[in-house]
Amino acid sequence: MTKLLRPTTIVSLLVVLLCLVMAFAPQLIAPGDPLAGTPRDRLLPPSAEHLFGTDSLGRDVFTRVVHGAWLSLAAATAAVLIGGVVGGAIGLLCGAARGRVGTAIDFVVMRFVDVLIAVPGILLALIVVATLGFGPWSIALGVGLGAAGSFARIMRAQVLRVRGEEYVEAAAVLGVRPLGVLGRHILPNAARPVLAMAALELGTAVLSVSAISFLGFGVAPPAPEWGALVSSGRDYIATSWWLTVLPGAVIVGVVLAVTRLARVIGEAR
Amino acid sequence: MARAGTALRLVGPKVLQFAFVVWATYTVTFLLVRVLPGDPVLAALAVQSGDATTVDPEQLAALREAAGLDGSLLEQYLGQLGALLTGDLGTSLATGRPVVDMIAAVVPGSLAVAGLALVIGVGTSVVLAFLASIAPWRWLRDLLVQLPPLGVAVPAFVTGLILISVFSFSLGLLPASGSRSGDSVILPAITLAFPVGAIFFQVFITAIREAESSGYVFTAEAKGLGRVAVFGRHVLRNALLPSVTSIGLLIGYLAGGTAVVETVFSREGIGRLVVSAVLARDVSVIQGVIIVVAVVYALAALLVDLSYPLIDPRLRPGKAAPKATAPSTFSIAPEADALSASTQDPQNGAAK
Repeated sequence: MTKLLRPTTIVSLLVVLLCLVMAFAPQLIAPGDPLAGTPRDRLLPPSAEHLFGTDSLGRDVFTRVVHGAWLSLAAATAAVLIGGVVGGAIGLLCGAARGRVGTAIDFVVMRFVDVLIAVPGILLALIVVATLGFGPWSIALGVGLGAAGSFARIMRAQVLRVRGEEYVEAAAVLGVRPLGVLGRHILPNAARPVLAMAALELGTAVLSVSAISFLGFGVAPPAPEWGALVSSGRDYIATSWWLTVLPGAVIVGVVLAVTRLARVIGEAR
Repeated sequence: MARAGTALRLVGPKVLQFAFVVWATYTVTFLLVRVLPGDPVLAALAVQSGDATTVDPEQLAALREAAGLDGSLLEQYLGQLGALLTGDLGTSLATGRPVVDMIAAVVPGSLAVAGLALVIGVGTSVVLAFLASIAPWRWLRDLLVQLPPLGVAVPAFVTGLILISVFSFSLGLLPASGSRSGDSVILPAITLAFPVGAIFFQVFITAIREAESSGYVFTAEAKGLGRVAVFGRHVLRNALLPSVTSIGLLIGYLAGGTAVVETVFSREGIGRLVVSAVLARDVSVIQGVIIVVAVVYALAALLVDLSYPLIDPRLRPGKAAPKATAPSTFSIAPEADALSASTQDPQNGAAK
């Protein structure tokens, strides 16, 4: 429990809570309209009235960042879910099949998983986006499939570790059916490292999703999204630094917080 | 003669592995493109001429044939695989040019950036790791170890834009974009060096910690060697070897990172090629780039594997007792591999 009370952990928890509020109830933090701008107030530097300044159309950047949290975080979460479910299932089946019926299957599948890990995730995500069409959800699918390999590897390693434990052997000897052993005994005990990995991958996914949105394959322009916000500030980098630096800093803060929590989940006992 | 035989036995499986990686990458990308809904040829045509245009069936069939996308799935798979063996990556759906030529034209620009980024990233992390190990104050050592994770958390497009804003617009030292002048390589390379250096640092510092806790370092300290001497003579040399393994990981990051960095700095290169291919929904080009990256990755892995015996005398065949060599080969596998390797023993026991 003491690890949960470390100052960095508390700050990270607060950041994640703030993210949840931004994603589900953005009006609480930024009551304004993210799409409405006052042309007279264009490109104002940060001030008490406009915390993050305003963009070239006079829209409040802080409001846009807060309202953009939903798309950015939802796409990243969807990516981790897709990767976790697909990869986890592959790893679980391979780990369970090894040594019984499918040592050869396990070997072949895991070599493909190695390749999936070796291919840069962003390229894999881009080929998915090019095939499916643009938008945050095809980005999520692409990033998720790119992460599936790592999930499969760690899940398999955990299943193999747990399978050797005495309570699993005991359950098998007592006559619990193999599927029952897998669901009741192996899966819950293998879950923690996979969850830590999922938290770590969430940070990576936020980065990948915002990078691909930055490249222009995410949401259509007026809707706010973190990567797209940085991208639209690019043309004003010489004069209006706040358009890129402040949304960028938000991404950095969220990724650092999530990564920090992933460490805590991974090491807590 | 016997020497040639052992060499073949050592090299043979590694070469097979190389071929497998390339084949599996091709298969994975092929499946990915075909399993997902959507017709790549139609998608590419729609981008070129707007969604509403009617497509002449004959023209469509001709385009499919040119791209190797006609016939049944198996025919397509085998046809493209055959072409791949002869070094042909197909033709671009958007431009009609051979993908190999398009990639070859932009490789030098990307190589310059990626190579410099690798040198800067690895060099900086070795210096940082050195400081983090010999700094006399504990808080400084802790701080230095905490720094690199920051390098992974900052998106490359943000670092790039900040560098442009500081060094190009405020100080006017370096060009913000383009690839004409020689010094235009510097800013993109620094941008790319942040994540690459951060990843290398994490592998490197783990290897250093492992070396520091070993018996020979204890002996060296016990006989009175200074901090710097222990680090330089014992820790560094033993930690560098396992870190070389991470070069494959770094190549992956470099290849993926070029897409963002080259867009930020408006440079010609592999990354820009991929980005414009996505814009044109040109799947063949992206597939080609992924296969080229896999070839480079597999080549690097092959070279690293083959160079182990040169770097580490313990791994030379016939030089030492097999008992001493076997565990050390496994302990230098990358972290996740080591995890799965170490978990195999209890499992094998259970399977009996």
